[in-house]
Amino acid sequence: MVDDAWSSALHRLWQASSRAEEVEALADDVYAPLLATPGVHVVVGTRWDEKQVLRYTRVLSDGSDAPVIVTAPRTVPAAAVREPGDDPVVIRSAVAGLDDAVWPEAEFLRQTPPGTSVVACTFRLDRRGWATLGAAVDASADVPAVERRLMQAADVIVACRTGILQRGREARRGADDALLAEASLQMDSSLDVVDTLRRVARIAVPAVADGCLVHLLRSEGPEFVAATHVAVQQQRALEAAGRDDPWLAALLARRGEDEDPLFLSGAALDGSPFAADAATAGDGRHPTVVSISTLHARGRVVGSITFVYQRPEARLPDSAFLRSLATRAALAIDNALLYELRRNAVLSLQEHLLPSRLPVTDQWDLSASYEVGDPMLDVGGDFYDAVPRPDGSIALLIGDVCGRGAEAAALTGLARHTLRTLLEEGTDAGTALIRLNRALRQERASRFLTAVVTTLTPQADGTALVSTCSAGHPAPLVLRGDGTVSEVLCDGLLLGVLDDVSYESHEDRLAPDDTLVLFTDGLTESREADGTFFESVLPQRLAALRGLDAAHIAESLARQAKGFRASGQDDIALLVARWTGVPPGTGPLPHALRLERAAL
Amino acid sequence: MNSDGLILVVEDSEEDTEAIQRALSRSHPSLQVEFAPRSDAVVPRLLDPSARMPDLVLLDLNMPGTNGLTLLSDLRGHAECASLTVIVFTSSTSSAEEDACYAAGADSYIYKPVNFELFQTVLRGAVDFWIAQRTDGRSAAG
Repeated sequence: MVDDAWSSALHRLWQASSRAEEVEALADDVYAPLLATPGVHVVVGTRWDEKQVLRYTRVLSDGSDAPVIVTAPRTVPAAAVREPGDDPVVIRSAVAGLDDAVWPEAEFLRQTPPGTSVVACTFRLDRRGWATLGAAVDASADVPAVERRLMQAADVIVACRTGILQRGREARRGADDALLAEASLQMDSSLDVVDTLRRVARIAVPAVADGCLVHLLRSEGPEFVAATHVAVQQQRALEAAGRDDPWLAALLARRGEDEDPLFLSGAALDGSPFAADAATAGDGRHPTVVSISTLHARGRVVGSITFVYQRPEARLPDSAFLRSLATRAALAIDNALLYELRRNAVLSLQEHLLPSRLPVTDQWDLSASYEVGDPMLDVGGDFYDAVPRPDGSIALLIGDVCGRGAEAAALTGLARHTLRTLLEEGTDAGTALIRLNRALRQERASRFLTAVVTTLTPQADGTALVSTCSAGHPAPLVLRGDGTVSEVLCDGLLLGVLDDVSYESHEDRLAPDDTLVLFTDGLTESREADGTFFESVLPQRLAALRGLDAAHIAESLARQAKGFRASGQDDIALLVARWTGVPPGTGPLPHALRLERAAL
Repeated sequence: MNSDGLILVVEDSEEDTEAIQRALSRSHPSLQVEFAPRSDAVVPRLLDPSARMPDLVLLDLNMPGTNGLTLLSDLRGHAECASLTVIVFTSSTSSAEEDACYAAGADSYIYKPVNFELFQTVLRGAVDFWIAQRTDGRSAAG
C-alpha cells in the first residue's frame, strides 16, 4: 500500500513538473508524500545559488499542515563543502552531529525526538544552482527506501528545472526573433535618420535592456542621436551622458571595427556615468552592465548602440542577438543616410538647373513655382527662365526633357542655357528653337524635349504683344482681367527628333491685368483617383484666381494640383507673367533691363 | 520575481487584458493584478481610502471616455497619487506622444508589441525594473 501511494505521488509529481513555471511549484507534491513515509518526521529542502547564497528554505513537519518558508537570501560560506558535482550526493547523519555553519537547516531538524537521523540528497539544479532535499527519520524508518525516494524526487525536480530552462530559452528565442522582426518593420517605416534611430531605441527598451543610447559616427566623431530608459528620470540622465559625457565619448571614439559587442561591468565602469549605479548595487539590486555594439553597414562604421542593463545576468542578451540587432539597425541607418544625401543632392542639382531669380520690372509681375514630385526619383527634367532682351521685351521659356536622372539633367542644362543665350542676344523664338534642335541632334541626344518660348513686348497703347512658338509643349493659358481663360494657339514638333524643323510664331495681345501662365505637363497630368486629369479643371481653377498677383497664382495652382493628384509623381513647373500695363518709355527702366542695355 | 505587490491595469481591450493577465501570471505569479476597464473609475478607485494603493499602474492610452493622457494628468493632480508609479503601455512609437506622456507625469513609456512572447518580455522588463526600484526605496527608507 505504501509503495502504491508513493508510486501515485511520483506519477503526479512527473505530471506537475511538465507544467511548472518554477520548481517551487512542485513543493506540495514533493513534501507531503515524503512526510507520509513511515518513520519520517520532517522534510526540509534548501535551494542555493553560486557563491553559497541560500535563497530558499522550506520545512514541512509532521503535525503541521503549513510549511515554514524562508526566502530572505543569506550567504553561508562553509556550505561550499556541500556543493555537489554532476552526480547527486546522499548522506546519513545523526541530527545532533550536523554542523550549523554548514547545515543552516539543522535548526529545523533538531525539532525532532532525540536520536533522530537525517537522510539528505544534494544535487545540481542547473549550471549555477544546487539544492538539498532531506528527511529527519527515526529508528523505525526504512532508510534505504527513504534514500531512494529522495533520489527519485530529486530526479523529478532536476528534470523540471531543465524543462523550465529549456522553455525559457525557447520563449526567449521567440521573443528575440519577434523583436528583430519588429525592429526591422519599425526601422523600414522611416527614411529619416533621427526618427529611425529613435525607433531603434524605443523598441529595444525594456525588451533588450533597461536603457539604450544611439550615436551616429560623423567625420568629427560620435554624435548623440537618441536615448531611452524605462524610467524617465534616468532617460534624461542618459540623454545628458550621451551628449556630453567625456568617458562615454572617449570609449565610443576608441571603438574600432569590432563586430562583437563589448560588455563592461564592475570596475570597468569606474569614472563612467553608469558607475553610481554600480556602486549602489547591493542585496536585491542587480549591478549595472553596459554593452556597446558598433554599427557596420557596407564596410564602414555608421554608429553605435549602447545598452544599459540593471537586471539579472541570466537575462542579458547574448552577443549573437546583439550582433543581429546591430546589423539591422546599421542597414536602416545607412539607408536613411543615403536617402538624405541623395535627396539633398537632387534638390541642390535641381536648384542649379533653374534661374536663381527672375527679372524685376515695373511692366511685368513675374513669378515661378517648381514642385519636385518625388526626390527619390532623381533630378527631374523641367526647366524655365525669363530673359530680358535688347529691345526691351522679355522672353519666357519653359520646357520638359523626357525622363529623369543625370542625362536628363545634362540636357535640361543644355536646353535652358542655349535658349537663354540666344534669346538674350535678340534671336527670335522660332530661330532659337531651331538652333536648340540642331544642337540636340549634333550631340546625338538620346532623349527628346518639349518647350515653349514666348516673347512679351509692351506696346505704346498699353497692351503687350505676345509671340509664342511651341515645340510640342502644352499650350500656355491666358487669364483675362474679366476672369475668362483661353489657350494660346500654337503647335510645332518636339525637339531632338528630326533634323529639319520650323516653328511658326502665333501672336496674341494682353490687356493690363491679363496674366499669361506657362506650365509643364506635371500640372495637367496630375490625376485624381477616379482618373480625372487636372487639365480638365485647370481653366476653372485658374479663373477663380482672377485679380491675384503672379506669385499667388503660381503657388496656388501648384498646390492645388498636388492636392488633386492621387497618382503621378511628375515635377510641376509654372511660370506666370502678369502684364501691369506700364507702356514703354514711361518711368525709369527696370533694373535688370537697365543692366542689359548698359552691357550692350 | 516573487512579490506581493499590487498592479492596477487600466485597459479596456479584452484581448490586451487577457494577454496582460497571462503574461503577468507567468512572469510574476505572486503579483496581485487588478483590472480597471473604465478609465472614469480609476481616480475614485485610487482615492478610496479603504482600497489598497497599487504599487504600479499600467495605463493604456486609447480608452473610450477619458483617454489615458487625460486620466494621467487628472490623477497627478491629486496629492495621494503624486508618487504613484505610472507605466504608459502603448502601441505607438511617436516621440510627440512620448513627450506628452512624460509632460503629463508618466514614469515610463513602453512600446506594446503584437507578438505575445515579446509582449511578455517587455512587460516583465518594465515590472521587474519598477518593483526593484520600489524595493530599493523601501530599503533606503528602512
